[in-house]
Amino acid sequence: MSSAGLERPQLVAHVQQALSYTLFDCKWVPRSARLLCLGSAARGTGLLQLYELRGGRLVLLREIEKAKPLKCGTFGATSLQQRYLATGDFGGNLNIWNLEAPEIPVYSVKGHKEIINSIDGVGGLGIGEGAPEIVTGSRDGTVKVWDPRQKDTPVANMEPVQGESKRDCWTVAFGNAYNQEERVVCAGYDNGDIKLFDLKTMSLRWETNIKNGVCSLEFDRKDVNMNKLVATSLEGKFHVFDMRTQHPTKGFASVSEKVQKSTIWQVRHLPQNRDIFMTSGGAGSLHLWKYEYPAQRSKKDSEGAEMGVAGSVSLLQNVTLSTQPISSLDWSPDKKGLCVCGAFDQTVRVLIVTKLNKV
Amino acid sequence: MPVWLREYSWRQTGAAVYLSLPVRGVRVTPANIFCTEQYLKVSIPPFLFEAILYAPIDDTNSTAKIGNGNVFFTLYKKEVGMWDSLTLANANKEKLQYLRENAVLKAHEKAKEETEAKKVTKQEHKKYALEATMKLEEAERKRIEDLKEKERQKVTKELELWKKQQEDAEKQKRVQKELHQEVEPLKVKKKEQMNKTSILNEGTSETRLKPTKGCPSSYNMFSENLKEEQLPAPRSAATIKINFTSRVFPTALRESRVAEEEEWLRKQAEARRTVSADLSELEDLKEEEKNPDWLKDKGNKMFATGNYLAAVNAYNLAVRLNNKLPLLYLNRAACHLKLRNLHKAIEDSSKALELLTPPVPDNENARVKAYVRRGTAFCQLELYTEGLQDYEAALKIDPKNKTIEKDAEKIRHLIQGTTQDS
Repeated sequence: MSSAGLERPQLVAHVQQALSYTLFDCKWVPRSARLLCLGSAARGTGLLQLYELRGGRLVLLREIEKAKPLKCGTFGATSLQQRYLATGDFGGNLNIWNLEAPEIPVYSVKGHKEIINSIDGVGGLGIGEGAPEIVTGSRDGTVKVWDPRQKDTPVANMEPVQGESKRDCWTVAFGNAYNQEERVVCAGYDNGDIKLFDLKTMSLRWETNIKNGVCSLEFDRKDVNMNKLVATSLEGKFHVFDMRTQHPTKGFASVSEKVQKSTIWQVRHLPQNRDIFMTSGGAGSLHLWKYEYPAQRSKKDSEGAEMGVAGSVSLLQNVTLSTQPISSLDWSPDKKGLCVCGAFDQTVRVLIVTKLNKV
Repeated sequence: MPVWLREYSWRQTGAAVYLSLPVRGVRVTPANIFCTEQYLKVSIPPFLFEAILYAPIDDTNSTAKIGNGNVFFTLYKKEVGMWDSLTLANANKEKLQYLRENAVLKAHEKAKEETEAKKVTKQEHKKYALEATMKLEEAERKRIEDLKEKERQKVTKELELWKKQQEDAEKQKRVQKELHQEVEPLKVKKKEQMNKTSILNEGTSETRLKPTKGCPSSYNMFSENLKEEQLPAPRSAATIKINFTSRVFPTALRESRVAEEEEWLRKQAEARRTVSADLSELEDLKEEEKNPDWLKDKGNKMFATGNYLAAVNAYNLAVRLNNKLPLLYLNRAACHLKLRNLHKAIEDSSKALELLTPPVPDNENARVKAYVRRGTAFCQLELYTEGLQDYEAALKIDPKNKTIEKDAEKIRHLIQGTTQDS
């Protein structure tokens, strides 16, 4: 490796912390150097730990135990002052907690019959416009959108038609929230279905199937006009869809990459640069990618309808940190290049990605 | 017989002997010269020159120069002294022999030793080379490690710096908050006055959204900074119904039992294609009557209207045309049940089940029906245990069907009833 290789962004492992429980999700607390780890203790209860990054170590600030193991969490729908955490657990309950007083949830509902696999929030943290909303996707095949001001019933429910056999919903993501009315929810299922629901018109806007179960979905920005959507799946493939131009029959243009044989568990875009994203793999590896736009983002097809043109994806750097899958990944919204990842080997790692300014 | 070379001339000093041997007409190479401590031989077939030297010489340092039809030997004596003659005078045959052999042996040993020495040096050279490359690689690795380490430290420092900045910013905000708290009561009074008079609202959040009156500080801090607009009301609840991508078999790639499913599809495809023999009888049938599907539909219609015999006929003809379609047998079994041809019903259901292997979700319905029909036939023949077996098989495929469950229960009671009686 010559010195030219060191001009690329480096993934530097900063801190590593061994935990005594299975870690399912890790999130940065906005506007701070604190991070949150959610998981399941060996007893079968849920565990929530709050760490602070001090010096070269993670210092445990708080540990909260809950009845059911926690699967996923988000700060996306709270304001910056409150910073309430919304969590989904193994029992299908959606709870919003005030971390200063975590005994009683601020909002609680048994939203689903089975485990909530994925959760996302929009409208909070000073990003985007419109009402704060939370979307949850569950193994019972439904995707529900909740408003913390409305108790017990979801404001939108995407469920299978009566008699249809259900498919597990593995991932959900908000997008297109650029003004108060527009909002879109994208859901990925275990049979490879990706469905895009428009919440303004309450209809299915687009669907496609990528053959392998969809592990993770993310729009590059939730609060702008839909630009790009990355969908990762089993068997090491991920697809980047260009969401600016929707063709009436062909849908959105996409480019796909195959990384390794293992599942790609998560994709996360860098908050400070929406063309850079990181994928985490089942072999304990992290890959940093850059998307390049094509010369023309849309072209006319033979009938004259507008069709999108997908660009290209290039690998900037990769590193293998663990032998177990890295199941959760989060970029810090405050410091560019700081990220936390949690793996199934019960360790949480804080990484710093260097030279992102030069990419 | 070799030709002896006897013409030679020699002279000597105290330390060396100089021997000149003319060899005309032949090429001499170093291989032809053989020299040990006390024996010198030059053999260029057919010429031969040999000499048993007067005294031992140092054969490693002695030289032989070949050129000009002459071989010029420079032999360094081991012991300084003048020789009486070049060769030993009274050398008898045995001694000669002995000396010759000895010389050869010695030469061999020397050669061996030389090769050994060469090997050893070669090994050492190799080792040295290996170590050198290892050192180079090590150095390279270290260099890279150092670079990485430097990056790490740099990055860590930056992080600490950023953290400090954050903390300072926090402190600033807190200080500002305290200042605002002092100013608060004045502002509230002013606001109330303003609210009474003006309709226009400023973009501040105090009077509108926050229901909590107990914490004025949390939103006060940001009252100058944030311009919170009114949040829209919660969306009106709605449901979107979705369908999942249908496949021939609705299983994800990882779940599919592709082998079995492929087999089932293949069988179906084959079944469609088989046209059985004896078409001669069927020549006078209309075109559509030769189509098993059309005949099946006809049969179904007649079954629906209650014309069971005609339905059976239609199915019979269809079977003659294509005996691999399980549905034909299945439907014919239903007709036979209605006609109370119970044995035939059993036969047909069994044939249908045979054709419905391998068991895949696609032919679940058909299999349930087959089991139920066969079970019914058994029961009507009063073979209740067989009937129960079939009902339970049907229940295993479709556990949620209440009618099958009820019927199975009834049969169980019947069996228990009869066993109690007898």
